[in-house]
Amino acid sequence: MTLERIKPHLPWITLLALVLIVGAADSNFLRPQNLISMTADIMPLFIMALGMTFAIYIGGIDLSAQSVANMTTVIATVTLPTLGIGAALVCIAAGLIFGAISGYITTKLLVPSFVSTLAVGGVAYSSAQYLSGQRALYMDAGLRDSSFGWMVGKTAGIPHEILVGLVLLLAMLFLQSRTTFGRALKAVGAGELAAVASGLNVTRIKVIAFALSGMLAAIAGLLFSVKLSGGSPTLANGFLLPAIVAVLVGGTPLTGGVGGVVNTLIGTLIVAVIRSSMLYFEIDATMQQMVFGIILIVAIAATIDRSKLRVVK
Amino acid sequence: MYQLNKVDKKFPGVHALKAVDFTIGRGEIVGLVGENGAGKSTLMKVIYGAYQPDGGTVTIDGKTVRFQNPRQAMDHGIGMVFQEQSLITNLTVMENIFLGFEKQFVRFGVVDWKAMAEAARKQLAKVKLDIDPGMITAKLSFAQRQLVELAKVLTLEERVEGDLVILLDEPTSVLAREEVELLFKLVRELTSRASFIFVSHRMDEVLELSDRIYVMKDGEVVDVVDQAAANIDSIQHKMVGRDVDKEYYREQRQGAYDPDRVLVSFDGVTVPGRYEDISFDLHPGEVLCLVGTEGSGREAILRTIFGLEKPAEGSVRIKGQEITRFNARQSVELGVGYVPRERKVEGIVGGMNVYENMTLSQMGNYSSAGVLRIAEEKALAQKWIDRLAIKTPSVFKDCGGLSGGNQQKVVLAKWRSGGSDIILLDHPTRGLDIGAKEDVYDMVREMCDAGAGIILVADTLEEAIGLSHTIHVVKDGKTQKVFHGSPGNKPSLFDLVHYMT
Repeated sequence: MTLERIKPHLPWITLLALVLIVGAADSNFLRPQNLISMTADIMPLFIMALGMTFAIYIGGIDLSAQSVANMTTVIATVTLPTLGIGAALVCIAAGLIFGAISGYITTKLLVPSFVSTLAVGGVAYSSAQYLSGQRALYMDAGLRDSSFGWMVGKTAGIPHEILVGLVLLLAMLFLQSRTTFGRALKAVGAGELAAVASGLNVTRIKVIAFALSGMLAAIAGLLFSVKLSGGSPTLANGFLLPAIVAVLVGGTPLTGGVGGVVNTLIGTLIVAVIRSSMLYFEIDATMQQMVFGIILIVAIAATIDRSKLRVVK
Repeated sequence: MYQLNKVDKKFPGVHALKAVDFTIGRGEIVGLVGENGAGKSTLMKVIYGAYQPDGGTVTIDGKTVRFQNPRQAMDHGIGMVFQEQSLITNLTVMENIFLGFEKQFVRFGVVDWKAMAEAARKQLAKVKLDIDPGMITAKLSFAQRQLVELAKVLTLEERVEGDLVILLDEPTSVLAREEVELLFKLVRELTSRASFIFVSHRMDEVLELSDRIYVMKDGEVVDVVDQAAANIDSIQHKMVGRDVDKEYYREQRQGAYDPDRVLVSFDGVTVPGRYEDISFDLHPGEVLCLVGTEGSGREAILRTIFGLEKPAEGSVRIKGQEITRFNARQSVELGVGYVPRERKVEGIVGGMNVYENMTLSQMGNYSSAGVLRIAEEKALAQKWIDRLAIKTPSVFKDCGGLSGGNQQKVVLAKWRSGGSDIILLDHPTRGLDIGAKEDVYDMVREMCDAGAGIILVADTLEEAIGLSHTIHVVKDGKTQKVFHGSPGNKPSLFDLVHYMT
């Protein structure tokens, strides 16, 4: 069996191996209770990574995801008292708009996505600061529970965050594999020039991909803010790097065209296992970003399709 | 003495070189001919170190060598003069000549420009080019640039010990006849300094210049002939593997087109910098061929019809509808199908399977409210796999792994299955083997019989003549001449070349 044939299976093999290694080091890790709560804790990150998958799948990236999520924690907290559950719609709309703007800048003004999304992220971050008056805000417990209590409850021992993540995963999986948009997305990721030569509206497809990324980042922010019962312009800091890592180690390379949302689920779980293993192995929390930075570099180097790159700048 | 012994090279789906033996002695000029896809460029890339052979050995004066990259080949005296000129046009002539080898002129960390100019002058003298080495390369004519490239390769003479082998890839394609003669004279004189491998499509030139000629077909050397024994007909015969006759281009199946209906109409259309004042009508059942050299504007005309290039002047009508907003979506809806030259990059999407590729341009027909009806897509793909005899294990096969001919069939099936009846073919047979080419010719005739109109940019002039009803010769973006041809009454190669250059 050659490396090329093993490659698509590497993500879940890695996940399984990691679980077994950490489990061998500390058998408490394998307790269902622990695995479930680990999965529930990672859900906001997973939802952000789910969106990031679309941006990376077309060969771009969305560096604004974390700032958009930060912004929606503030929006959710600020609008909750007046709008109730309607706050969710405002968050989703804000995410869609910011993502679509990134997509527009990337496709129409031909600014590479790592710059356009960085800039849009700056705007989102700054909006969050303005809206919050640069303070950490708190949700009223009663209001939160009446509007969004369903997001963080438990049914039969399963935290609802997991169900939210699962529903979004299935929706995105359907979008990816059964719709014309998903097919077009695949064509743009795997062979953009051929997509153009088949008469597809590549610009529109890319804008939608970035809009989806923004929307899911916003939902991630909403869920996180409900979970922590508050919002602040820095609440979701530390999400961006692991979200990108989750997509890449899941098997969607930076050059796009292969992988997808299921891969990102596996990638996110790998991130979750690495994160909790750091607790078990008593690695200082401040070193987390360092670890993810290193994993990111290794993951990119291992998965990138060099035949698609002519010149690296 | 440079030698290849039983050199083999494989790519996914293609056996590009099959046990090729090749020898070139000191001061010899060796010609290399073969159709597109016969393996010439692969062989050249092996020789100058861009590809590493999978089997066999390369020896220089009996010693085995293995080049990891062109630089190592250069260190052994092997240089390449590229077809698509490799000079960097915003650098000076001398900077180009010594690009990557400036070190010899560096004194205390700075370049001694005077010394470089002096050395460059010496190199230019070898090719009898009397220009200022400090000149910006963009100001030179194409013929002069070609000589600068040659001068650049000749710097190897001072740098390496032993004999030089210089590859000339289509060096005459952009030259006028007098310039060609000057180049040939020069090459003959330079045989005291180097041996040459000469690759060209122009058979007469190969015969004129070469001492020996290697004839390639389907990755093999099928014959080696001495100049004295060579004749064009027998070489062409060996290249193609049979007589190039009318049968080959399916001329007997060329029917009359319908002159009363017009599919595409160009009236005085201009895209600045690409082409000017182009007018023609394409009728159902017609093959209209655009003939011209590289960059003459042929591709830009195709791109305009497909909606990718917006003209500044003139009127474009597709099936009577005046086109004002140019985009590919609209052209596809009007029945235009585009078979691009870069099959692997623009034609098919590698990584997507057969049915996904076939419905890519017509997903609307296979979906309800944006949700794909995948079962119908598979049925469509299976139908066209049978109809065009596409060799694939199943509809799930990644198109990137199919052979070139089958990829081209998938691209054609994509358009035909969607009902496109204005087919733009850009080098549709490039890189295909003979059998696959014939399949494409068959399909061209079938599409015409079914009432489609075809605009063709052919791979060779023979192909253009053989297939077309109408030929527009384009030079520098302007129509020079229009030929009409019916079976048995076609313009000759000479007629076309006369207007092309």
